[in-house]
Amino acid sequence: MTEDTAVAVAESTMVLFGISKHYDGVAALTDVSLDIRPGEVHALLGENGAGKSTLMGVASGTITSDAGTITVHGELVEGLTPAVATEQGIAIVHQHPAVLPDMTVAENIRVAVPARFLNDTGNQYEAMRRMLADVGFTGHLDDRVGSLTVAQKHLLELAKALVLKPSLLILDEPTAPLGQEAVDTLFERVRRAANGGTAVVYITHRLAEVRVLASRVTVLRDGKVRGTARVEEITDDELLALIVGRQLDSTFPPKRGDAADGAPLLIADGLSGNGFSDVSLAARRGEILGVFGIVGNGQTALLRGLAGLESFTGTVHIGERAFTTKDLRRHSAYMPADRHREGLMMSLSVRENGALSALTRFRRGPLLSRDKEVSDIDRELASLAVKTPSREAVVSSLSGGNQQKVVLVRALLSQPSILVADEPTQGVDVGARAEIYRILREVSDGGVPVVVASSDAKELEGLCDRVIVMSRGGVVETLLGEQITEERLINAAVRATGHSRQASTQGAKPVVGSTRLGRFLQGDYAPVVILALVMLALGSYVLSQNSRYLSSFNITSVMISCAALGFIAMGQTVALLSGGIDLSVGPLSGFLVVIASFFINDGRSVIVMLLGVALMFLGAASAGVVNGGLIRFGGFTAVAATLVTYIALQGLSSLLRDAPGGNIAGSVTNLILTKVGPVPVVFMALVVLTLVMEYCLRYRSWGLRLRAVGSNEDSARAVGVRTDRTGVLAYVATSTLVCLGSIVLLAQLGIGDPAQGVGYTLSSITAVVLGGTSLLGGRGTFVGTLFGAGLIVQVLNATVFLDLSQTWQYFFQGALIVVAAVIYSQVRGSRAGVR
Amino acid sequence: MIATIAQSTTSARHRLSASRGLVTVVVALMILVAAGVLFAPSSLSKGAVLGMLPFAAVLAIVALGQTLVVMQGGIDLSVAGSVSMVVVIVTHEAYGNDARVLPAALAALAAALAAGLLNGVLIGRLGLNPIVATLGTNALLYAVVLGVSGGTPRQTTDLMASIAGGTTLGVPNAVYFSVLAVVVTTTAVKRTVAGRRFEAVGANGAAAWATGLMVQRHRGGGYLWAQVLYWLGGVLLAGIINKPTAYQGDSYLLASVAAVVLGGTSLLGGRGDLVATALAALFLTQLDQFVLALGVTFAVQTLTQAAALAIGVALYTIRWSGLRRQLRRGSAPLPVT
Repeated sequence: MTEDTAVAVAESTMVLFGISKHYDGVAALTDVSLDIRPGEVHALLGENGAGKSTLMGVASGTITSDAGTITVHGELVEGLTPAVATEQGIAIVHQHPAVLPDMTVAENIRVAVPARFLNDTGNQYEAMRRMLADVGFTGHLDDRVGSLTVAQKHLLELAKALVLKPSLLILDEPTAPLGQEAVDTLFERVRRAANGGTAVVYITHRLAEVRVLASRVTVLRDGKVRGTARVEEITDDELLALIVGRQLDSTFPPKRGDAADGAPLLIADGLSGNGFSDVSLAARRGEILGVFGIVGNGQTALLRGLAGLESFTGTVHIGERAFTTKDLRRHSAYMPADRHREGLMMSLSVRENGALSALTRFRRGPLLSRDKEVSDIDRELASLAVKTPSREAVVSSLSGGNQQKVVLVRALLSQPSILVADEPTQGVDVGARAEIYRILREVSDGGVPVVVASSDAKELEGLCDRVIVMSRGGVVETLLGEQITEERLINAAVRATGHSRQASTQGAKPVVGSTRLGRFLQGDYAPVVILALVMLALGSYVLSQNSRYLSSFNITSVMISCAALGFIAMGQTVALLSGGIDLSVGPLSGFLVVIASFFINDGRSVIVMLLGVALMFLGAASAGVVNGGLIRFGGFTAVAATLVTYIALQGLSSLLRDAPGGNIAGSVTNLILTKVGPVPVVFMALVVLTLVMEYCLRYRSWGLRLRAVGSNEDSARAVGVRTDRTGVLAYVATSTLVCLGSIVLLAQLGIGDPAQGVGYTLSSITAVVLGGTSLLGGRGTFVGTLFGAGLIVQVLNATVFLDLSQTWQYFFQGALIVVAAVIYSQVRGSRAGVR
Repeated sequence: MIATIAQSTTSARHRLSASRGLVTVVVALMILVAAGVLFAPSSLSKGAVLGMLPFAAVLAIVALGQTLVVMQGGIDLSVAGSVSMVVVIVTHEAYGNDARVLPAALAALAAALAAGLLNGVLIGRLGLNPIVATLGTNALLYAVVLGVSGGTPRQTTDLMASIAGGTTLGVPNAVYFSVLAVVVTTTAVKRTVAGRRFEAVGANGAAAWATGLMVQRHRGGGYLWAQVLYWLGGVLLAGIINKPTAYQGDSYLLASVAAVVLGGTSLLGGRGDLVATALAALFLTQLDQFVLALGVTFAVQTLTQAAALAIGVALYTIRWSGLRRQLRRGSAPLPVT
């Protein structure tokens, strides 16, 4: 054994030895050893929860193992991180694409791929286009990735991995969302990579893929290696036995033989909606209706329609009754393909999830009866054999298969009129699969129509009495009983898509930004134009009322105020772009002025004054480190962390000064307020800084990294961005910009006052929102923030010239932010309520 | 495994499940009382406690409202404007005339509900970010505050003072109101159909939508119910304080969020612990009292609040078991079994 290992180390791309990993005392991996050789496709098989993804997380540096060693190219690597892994030529394509939805395709590539891999011809864009075409990606480089289809995102991921010319390529269930054609392209590319000497680890559920692609296979079960073999030396049955640990006779329940007669129970006629058109289908009582097709041909859309989640035209009858979209949403039970997003409330208990759709039946008087609820839940948990420590266990602690069973518990308890299941066994282990099939069959036998979509033809063959095959949103074939075979299903789907290239291109097109105007309105700079127009209109109106509005005195004072707010709002923008928020900017600006008021006074030497400025920046940086540290290393939410700093800074301010005091030196004030014509220098500085930062945000790597973290932190980490560092630095940058703002404030206030500055928290957020920066992170502009700050200051100034009371100041501020937010959200078409 | 379900089923039946938030807050309160006994007995004198309780009660009620909002993954910055508005409407409209107290209170309720409706529509229906929407609403509410009061304070009425500021059986009336508010809100959330759905929507809106729930209505509804609680808090405050200012609600923004967070409700939404929120409000108010009794400055008092909040949040967020393991591993590496 030791000799073997020694030999293997010499020639292997990677050797994992004795890897163990525990989560909260539960072993995910136990003493796993694996050696991966150059030029081989090494399949990693196993049920869900067997530890495949964990093991590959360890191999790619995203997960740190508790024990064991990793040897790459014969050298022991300690503390493997994603960045080190990338250096070592390890590339991973995750099961869930690690893409950044708010950034464009090109930006996604640039943030993940070191520039040297893109510069072989000197033209980055050309190189990117080529690497995308190579994997059959059809989108545009400037498309926002959030608008791509799942399959396209996967192809983007693959392209990013392949362009690195990795020595080890890890593919985690790459074919799950892909259509047949894309799978062929993928296999072809993987083979080419392997022939070129790349070691490929291929994680899959599908035995067929192992046969087609792999040269060796390792099976994991319960976090332990059950065996490694050459693919041609092991039979499917042997593999299956290794995977499940027992021989499975039949995973499918018997079909209903007598279903052929009797009136149809479910009839849908001429259904059309977004993604499907003119679909008609019917199923008799006791029949399970399957929906098959190449991924992206409308199956999911049709199922969402039948579940009442998307509107459609046409009619649906179940039994005698006609169902509208609204009826269906209330009376259907829907098992989504994406359990985490649409299936379960992960933070709630098994009981709460299971009972959710049946609550009205547990009512006793105005309140719920716990006894009724508990007895029903326990009955269903037992009959579905849900493996859970208790009914009060948090549902996220269950395995994928058991989570899916909880979805079923809820579906069954709700006594639905129809059960709609989209990929019901995705991410579910073999044992639980059989049970899910059995339950679906029982539901169907009980007289509830069951509709199942699956991309696995074998599954539909085993389960369904009737299958419709979809292509480009329409039904191309309906198969019954004995006709339902894997071959015929795939045949029908593939034959129907004779122009499948066209069809898949259609499916791949992003749904937004198709027209120039649309692209602009959805883009980041639309708010700037809108704000400029509003400012112009407001300015003209005020000028028509009061001619002193454009006096140079007023222009100067507006610009000074704008500079103070502008710098602080720029800081807030950085925090928001990183996906956080900084409530402490207001108290921080006041605190920094208080610091200054001890040093920058008349009669102090220049050295002391400079020391004061240095202390201001130091204080700001410390506040940023505290904010960032609490969020990144203390697990605080941004609101909680900056709330703590908010209160603490207020305390510190009044600790230093319990009343206003410490006049700021007049010479310094004059210096800060220096003007060129009517324009203050600080305002010019703000404009220049805004433009520089805007450029950096789009084109420099720190800007891309900042937006990457804000857009999707997990993905950013997966592509090698040091998220914690970026996050902390973002808050330091925020505080530093606030410090610039408080230098302006210093001149404006002229005194250290512990009560000042607090209001800048809210007005900075207002300015950023007006400028169109998303509070969700990842999207926004500094230019917009500048205009937002300008508009706020202009409005406050206008109320003075229009002789309006303070009431109106508040009113305008409130109305501005609400109206702006409503307009932006409507234009960007975010759907309320479902996110 | 299946056998374990049955076992834990029976054992869980009569178990009084105390959430982590509740345990934390209760322990914190006990520590605070112990510290009071040792270092500042005057903070636990009858007079001090009776003076503290009405304010704790108001904060508890307001924080309950904030909890409902936070359970929906939101945050309500308009609590400051709302409480201030209720206070000025009640004190200005019913100035010196007990008979006008009820109409004034009802007018304030209507205004608060209008604010809640606006928040609810903006956030639930139009999908705006809660910070943005409630920031806007807050400014609009302050426009009302200044419109009604002109920024000047007025004395409360005798009737208000006796209802909100009085005592029954030696306990301040406000405490009864707050206990009632806790009981009603908790029952509504945990034991009614609407409440359970409300909780589910907060935990995962998309999944709630897919199961057929009215996501927008629940999400917006949180803001509406919150306003009812702010209103109750504001009315009580208008009676407790002899001459409330026009900006009386300002101090409730941070304090209410702090109470929610200390009570263990995640700012990311989901499950909320209302009892823990109320006790956290009591803790925060008594902490002020304790620090004051020590005779320190306002600055130290503020810093203590910040520290309490930081420690409170850290208790929930830092994975102590993981940290312990790491420390142990650092000192003596264990062979992994």
